[in-house]
Amino acid sequence: MNASTRCLPLLALLGLLVSASANATDPATDAALLQRGQYLATAGDCVACHTAPGGKPYAGGLAVPTPIGNIIATNITPSKTAGIGNYTKQQFSDAVRKGIRADGKHLYPAMPYTAYAQVTDADVQALYAYFMHGVAPVERKPPPTRLPFPFNFRWYMAVWNGLFLDRKPFTPDPGKSADWNRGAYLVRGLTHCSTCHTPRNLLMAEESSRELAGGAAGPWLAPNITADANSGIGGWSEADLVAYMKLGHAAGRAQAAGPMAEAVDNSLQYLSTSDLQAIAIYLKAVPARHDPADTQPIDSWGAAFDGMAGQRGTALPDDANQWSGAQLYDAHCATCHQAKGEGSFDGGLPPLFHNTATGRTDADNLVLVILEGIRWTDASGVHMPGFAHELSDRQVATLANYLTQHYGNPSAKISAEQVKLLRAGGAPSYLVALARWAMAVVALLVLVIVVLWVRRRRRRTSPAQG
Amino acid sequence: MSGQLSADIVVIGAGIVGALAAERLARQGASVLILEAGPRLERARIVVAFRNSAFKGNWMAPYPPSPWAPHPIYVPKDNGYLVQAGPYPYPAEYIRAVGGTTWHWAAQAWRLVPNDVRIKSLYGVGVDWPLSYEELDPWYQEAEEILGVAGADNTGSPRLKPFPMEPVAEPWAMRRFRERLAPAYPVVANTVARNSRSYGGRPACVGNNSCQPICPINAQYLGINAVEAAETAGAKVVANAVAHRIEHDAKGRIAAVHYYDPDKGTHRVTGKTFILAANGIESPKLLLLSASDKYPDGLANSSGMVGRHLMDHPSTSLTFYADEELWLGRGPQSPSSINTLRDGAFRSRHAAYRLDFTNISQVLNVTNDLIKEGVYGPEFEKQLRWRAAHQVSVKNVLEVLPNPDNRITLSTEKDALGIPKPEAHYAIDDYTRQGAEVSKADFARIAELMGGTGLRYSADGQFANNQHITGTMSMGNDPATSVVDAFGRSHDHENLFICGTGVMPTAATMNSTLTAIALALRTAEHIMPAKTAHGIAAPADGEASLA
Repeated sequence: MNASTRCLPLLALLGLLVSASANATDPATDAALLQRGQYLATAGDCVACHTAPGGKPYAGGLAVPTPIGNIIATNITPSKTAGIGNYTKQQFSDAVRKGIRADGKHLYPAMPYTAYAQVTDADVQALYAYFMHGVAPVERKPPPTRLPFPFNFRWYMAVWNGLFLDRKPFTPDPGKSADWNRGAYLVRGLTHCSTCHTPRNLLMAEESSRELAGGAAGPWLAPNITADANSGIGGWSEADLVAYMKLGHAAGRAQAAGPMAEAVDNSLQYLSTSDLQAIAIYLKAVPARHDPADTQPIDSWGAAFDGMAGQRGTALPDDANQWSGAQLYDAHCATCHQAKGEGSFDGGLPPLFHNTATGRTDADNLVLVILEGIRWTDASGVHMPGFAHELSDRQVATLANYLTQHYGNPSAKISAEQVKLLRAGGAPSYLVALARWAMAVVALLVLVIVVLWVRRRRRRTSPAQG
Repeated sequence: MSGQLSADIVVIGAGIVGALAAERLARQGASVLILEAGPRLERARIVVAFRNSAFKGNWMAPYPPSPWAPHPIYVPKDNGYLVQAGPYPYPAEYIRAVGGTTWHWAAQAWRLVPNDVRIKSLYGVGVDWPLSYEELDPWYQEAEEILGVAGADNTGSPRLKPFPMEPVAEPWAMRRFRERLAPAYPVVANTVARNSRSYGGRPACVGNNSCQPICPINAQYLGINAVEAAETAGAKVVANAVAHRIEHDAKGRIAAVHYYDPDKGTHRVTGKTFILAANGIESPKLLLLSASDKYPDGLANSSGMVGRHLMDHPSTSLTFYADEELWLGRGPQSPSSINTLRDGAFRSRHAAYRLDFTNISQVLNVTNDLIKEGVYGPEFEKQLRWRAAHQVSVKNVLEVLPNPDNRITLSTEKDALGIPKPEAHYAIDDYTRQGAEVSKADFARIAELMGGTGLRYSADGQFANNQHITGTMSMGNDPATSVVDAFGRSHDHENLFICGTGVMPTAATMNSTLTAIALALRTAEHIMPAKTAHGIAAPADGEASLA
């Protein structure tokens, strides 16, 4: 044992003392605290929303699409003019865990404070240290969020929070293992898995009774990741789950695409193996939620199939919309996924059968990955090219049907209209219209009640007619 | 007359060279119009055409010529577009389409070696270039960063900055060549514009081994990437616009380009500055076609040198069976070569050369051989397996010296639009033949080191062509002996610039595309200096992914 490792327990103890006194001066402890804060910020994937494409880290500016309009992520660098440099630790904690800004106004729950509410005081302390001292200040304020009426009033959120926000930080369950508790703390808290994977009610609050049973992230389906063997990840080993979070794919099962690829790219791949292991243990214990449509595991559909041999010698139709699925597969897919959809020998280019990409009854994610491909921001870059600029809606539908028919779940059917909708960012949200309608109805009701009340009063107060 | 178009910069030819010059100028704020004689192609159709083709080894098969902008085709028979005047055939191949000939290149993106630009001074042969290797270095670098080039550091071409990426993983066969030929011959990675990692928004090579005729996944940089980048920067591309005359004004400045659409409707495009980038055959053809009373020998041709000094890289080869299984065909088609013979005092006597190993799958060649030999049944399968595993091939890439008699002229034959076809006058001189002779000893030594049997040399006096059309509009300081100056500006017309391999005064021993791009970027800078530093044209991968 060398000197530095001998000192570790002492440093840790010192760290505790210092953080308790909230008067950190020891540079070694500061470094450890900052490092811990950085790890936690990575786990929280703060960068995903708070960094614009090509922009400086945490400087905000990204327009986060929500059903009620775009919410512009704020600058959370320690700039005193443009960021959160003036936040006290308490103000920081309130923003992260209660959704309340320093000026007392409410954040919209696009900021996953409903999940971050679980974060412990010690971890908030480390996050605060990191954002104040470990992040470079950027002196530029993104434009403010402007949501349509009635959502431009933030005070509604106080009511919403009263209904849906659980303000208690995570408390370990002594009946469960340490790993389970660590996993639960991360999944429910910083990694905020439920933000996308838990279904939401009409008021956009997570239905906690159906934890991780499947939700949405923009147009993407955020699948059921409960322990159900058919609909969820019940058939996955812990090693499969860890590989998926570390590498973005689990051999013979699934690849992360869309927002999940972002989560792996920005966040999960950097978590320690023990934390990923803990998350896997927790996920495997989440109560199973079964969808009766899933008659077999999603990653068990399909088999190797060569549909191209029959194409040889057949001229391509001039009208690209008349190309067959096999012709489209030949032109765009076979090169990497191979003639029979079997992928490369080492699985680096995945097989298309026994793959969640083709095994779902809802093929929206398949369509989206054909359109957008899979791109990471790290050096690994383009994992799969997107074909939005090359393929028409009709071609994508033909191809996706060919894929689900031969390599996946044949009950999945894709229409050109569906592709068009997904290409445009998914089905439009009617929340704004609904809210306005609801308000109009309420206003009308109030008016009717007032009129009735006035008339009754008038009747009571008017002299009796004889 | 229908249609009037105008732009600050009019580029003729939407190949990799013209498009990258256009892209750079468009990014400086110039309005840029690119005229392309051929049609717009789609990668998907090319991929399917290749897979459906009965002529897998014919890299022109997926690129049928358009009736209005034909290009040479030789298989199954010569379409007669490039008229052969002899004495030696010059069966050049190129593609007239948006994106140009790099649709089916092997992405070889070589620099010259420094002495290539001084062979007259050093060895008393050829001509010197009007610029030094050192002047070219930053332009090479800019080109390499746009294309995403990787290579070895010991190919004889020094560099000030590193390559933007590492080479693609070395295929097994190339590793065995490297191990078994050392130390006699250092086998090194070729310098190629092929992604070994995600770069410029394009994926890494997955080893389809069909670089020629088409990279199916956009892992190697193609002219179409340059065209799309130019369009993103604001340039406009007009496809199916067959330029047939360049018009000058009374002062000799270029005023307009006239083009035919496929129905022979005529159009006139005006501009301030014109860039001719239609390759080493079509560009001189257009200059010669544009003869007028004032310039009876064609434009830019006061020296009489337009079309002359046609050069390429003839190759001879040796095919043999190695004594171990090498299984060519895994990874890119042309990954490795020997570069120690590109320069030396011998250049005063005979041609320098590179020695290049093919990594193209041998299954097709071997199958054809066996059918020709009448082998069938179980023996066929046994032989096919053995030969495909053991057969290898090495070729030389020989330097050709500039000779005014090797030239492109206008033929009396005309194409479908009534435009005279190009005619090639070509001979291979003793300097090149002597180089081929010397290289035979290298072939023999390589075969010996690989335990080679069944040695088959290409027939004496038979040279394969490499489609590196060079020299037909050479640059130089003297207007009496050259067509353009060191910046590609025509000596005769102040606002006419020529970009492409045709401006290279000598062919040296490397594939010519990267040098043409470097020169074109330098030309673009000369026309309109960059306001900001240049480098990667495409957005960084991270930016693209979040957009």
